[in-house]
Amino acid sequence: MNKKVVVIGGGVAGMQTALTLSELGLTPVIIEKEASTGGKLCKWHKLFPTLTPASEVLDGLRRRVSEAGIEVMTGRTVGRITDSGVELEDGTALACDATAVCTGFDIFDATLKEEYGYGMYDNVFTTVDLEEMFNRGEVRMVNGEKPRRVAFLHCVGSRDEKVNQRHCSRVCCITGVKQAMEVKQMIPDAEVFNFYMDMRMFGPGYEEMYRQAQYEYNIQFIRGRISEASQTIDRRVQIKAEDTLVGRPLKMTVDMLVLIVGMKAGASNERLGGCCGVDLYPSGFVRPADQFLRNVCSGSERVFYAGTVSAPKNVGESINEGIAAAYKISRYLNR
Amino acid sequence: MKYYDHFVLPFLIGAIVLFAVVLYKYVRWFWLLPPEDKRTFRRGIFTRKTFGAVGEVFSESLLHRRIFRANPLLGYMHMSLAFGWFLLIVVGWMETSYFMRWGFAPIHTHIFFKYFFSGVQNEPYYAAGYAFAMDFLLLFVLSGVALAWFKRVRSRAMGMRRTTRHTAGDRVALSALWFIFPARLVAESTTSGIYGNGSFLTGSVGRALSAGLGPGGLAAFEPYAWWFYSIVLAVFFIAMPFSRYMHIFTEIPLIFMRRYGLHSGDKQKSYDHFQIEACSRCGICIDPCQLQRDAGVDSVQSVYFLRDRRYGRLTEAVADNCLMCGRCEQACPVGIELNALRLNARDDMRNGAAEGRYDYVKGADRSAGEGRVGYFAGCMTLLTPRILDAMRRIFEASGEAVWWADKDGGVCCGRPLKLSGEVDAAAKMMDYNKGLFARHGITTLVTSCPICLKVFREDYGLQEMGIRVLHHSEYMLGLIREGRLRLKPGATVYTYHDPCELGRGCGIYDEPRELISGVGRLVEVAENRERAFCCGGSVANTALDDDGQRAISRGLGTALRATGAEAVVTACPLCKKSIVRGTPQPVYDLAEVVAGSLA
Repeated sequence: MNKKVVVIGGGVAGMQTALTLSELGLTPVIIEKEASTGGKLCKWHKLFPTLTPASEVLDGLRRRVSEAGIEVMTGRTVGRITDSGVELEDGTALACDATAVCTGFDIFDATLKEEYGYGMYDNVFTTVDLEEMFNRGEVRMVNGEKPRRVAFLHCVGSRDEKVNQRHCSRVCCITGVKQAMEVKQMIPDAEVFNFYMDMRMFGPGYEEMYRQAQYEYNIQFIRGRISEASQTIDRRVQIKAEDTLVGRPLKMTVDMLVLIVGMKAGASNERLGGCCGVDLYPSGFVRPADQFLRNVCSGSERVFYAGTVSAPKNVGESINEGIAAAYKISRYLNR
Repeated sequence: MKYYDHFVLPFLIGAIVLFAVVLYKYVRWFWLLPPEDKRTFRRGIFTRKTFGAVGEVFSESLLHRRIFRANPLLGYMHMSLAFGWFLLIVVGWMETSYFMRWGFAPIHTHIFFKYFFSGVQNEPYYAAGYAFAMDFLLLFVLSGVALAWFKRVRSRAMGMRRTTRHTAGDRVALSALWFIFPARLVAESTTSGIYGNGSFLTGSVGRALSAGLGPGGLAAFEPYAWWFYSIVLAVFFIAMPFSRYMHIFTEIPLIFMRRYGLHSGDKQKSYDHFQIEACSRCGICIDPCQLQRDAGVDSVQSVYFLRDRRYGRLTEAVADNCLMCGRCEQACPVGIELNALRLNARDDMRNGAAEGRYDYVKGADRSAGEGRVGYFAGCMTLLTPRILDAMRRIFEASGEAVWWADKDGGVCCGRPLKLSGEVDAAAKMMDYNKGLFARHGITTLVTSCPICLKVFREDYGLQEMGIRVLHHSEYMLGLIREGRLRLKPGATVYTYHDPCELGRGCGIYDEPRELISGVGRLVEVAENRERAFCCGGSVANTALDDDGQRAISRGLGTALRATGAEAVVTACPLCKKSIVRGTPQPVYDLAEVVAGSLA
């Protein structure tokens, strides 16, 4: 036996795929481009809707990966998938019996929505920046003061054709709710506004959390996207929006504007796509062989997918796909 | 009856129908011209413009100089057909008149000269000279017909990747046209073969036919040959005023009227007929169209738009699906005002009373500042605040006192509404803004948006109000020349994208280039200036979906990347937003690059 499987990407999906493969008696190798495993979750503070610390999930996965003796190559990037394995960017060829693509997603670059002034105005942040603040234990404006009024803007880089992002990133609605609540927990007297076009509470406990945010935390949800933002003389952010439920334009000045950035297809998909059965959707995410019975399979019998490489997913779904992909791989290798 | 045979009847009927229809059309169109157009026309007749028009008719309607410049082979094809046929008529008429001792000849006599003057021998010398000249001219035209056939098969060799898809009526006229000259060759050669005359072409073909069919066979064949020639002429003449070939005559009055100063405008009017029917459907407008090239849209190009409008079957789907980039207008060999015609068609289809819709504009003055120089950001610059911030720094560095017309929100310049055909609603915006400018007493209006610039210059009448309108590229260059702004030269390699509304729209090409050369090194895109691509984001196209826009941005992106430049500079906030979707290179507005290099 002792068949080798290359797992590209060491995020939650990649680690779970490798763990299950190992349980099934195969030999996985994780290739991670960063210095350590964990992927996007490394930057996250707490997870919705249970507010479980991200580190709890990550530590569990990492510990089991290390206990299973799974080989992890960090700081290495896969250049392309070949018929016999993968080729690293430095040219090293790695032969294997099957490949699992678990390369995840990229975070949407908020500077592309220039009208919101990210990277230009002092107090415009993204959800990722805010998680870092949570990790540091305090939410502060650039001048070090506590914000008294915070606006969150949903769907930045999601459902937005103008920046080539037609899809819904799914998890950002609940992320916005979660972060709004966390801000209120840290600064109870702050006013918090969430500007949204739809609230898509698809997961267990999400809708409850959304109601809790309104009833218990008094967070204001305003249906209407912000059209533009500008910086005031005192470095606060003036926003213009329309409250589409009352049909009125509104203008307000906030201390902090948080852009809830969406999930963009991984830049590496373009590089890995086009050969060995790796086909891309127009959105840039990989297209599974079919969406029902073979949703972790590619066009090639030896290449498999798990996690957000194929579509935006939450952590739990990504972990489930890791298990599913591992079972499909094992079925393929034990024919 | 002398010089008569029954076979001339089809030709005569065809010619009469042709002239009756053409005359009816022209008289009607002239009659319906608005009084001011009639006045302009009358005032132009006895001026030097008439000589210019005659010259242009010769060089364009006959020689097709502009098509020559686009592609010599294509030019030769059009010239041999137009100029060759013209000379055949003129020389044929002279030849007939000569042999008639300058007596009256009915129109068909010189068309069928060879038949009626079959006994003319190749002596004396002038007879041989005429025969030679007519054969030579026929060969000249036939070479054009051969090229036209060749173009059907291999259009690329003639510089055209795509050619027009023709209507059934056009195909009938086209087939008749292709048959006219071979039919003439056969008919004339048959008669020459019977009488043993004819010059190098008809004479030799006649001898060959005679050898093949025998003298008896040839004599029996002769009437059929002439009947056939007369019938194809008739078919072509009758189809002509209803088909694309109406352009043959219509280009002539169009040239005169254009020289006298007539233009198509915001509203449809009778002059439009002359422009629309001067379109030969040559299809030269198809290749420059990026909708065709990148987005696979192949039924909306100017040739199809004009055709649909002419036959009264224009749909909004066709009228609206156009970027108004002006690349086709730039390429049109007839010089038709394609954008103006498209715009006034949209106006005709869509413009409606906008009662109450724009009442909110009253009292919307949120301007700030006291300066005599007004800055109008426009909606797109408000959505690209880096440009706005760069302008602020430039105004500060030059010590300019600015009146910020719309920094905190204002009323639209009106151009997007006008582009969508809502001319009356656009007028409301324009009236509001004009009042605003007048109230604040500005003497110069600067805008960083070419879309606003074009409407400020063309429709606002600001010059009459004593307000100079400048694009920020012109304004910044002016500051540098006056020594009020100093820039540090740099080593960055930039390429420049000409925005449609700024370049083809307002004729501003050099100012942005001079500014970029002052702060870095400029490398040009292969298709630049008048031939520059559109970014795909045009507000003029309300029909194209996002995928189509993106496909066009990508097409442009390929050209921008091919320059090897580190960054792209443009001078339009809308272009800036669109180009980002098509290339990974960073994209800046001119103002950002200038503000980033302030000394």
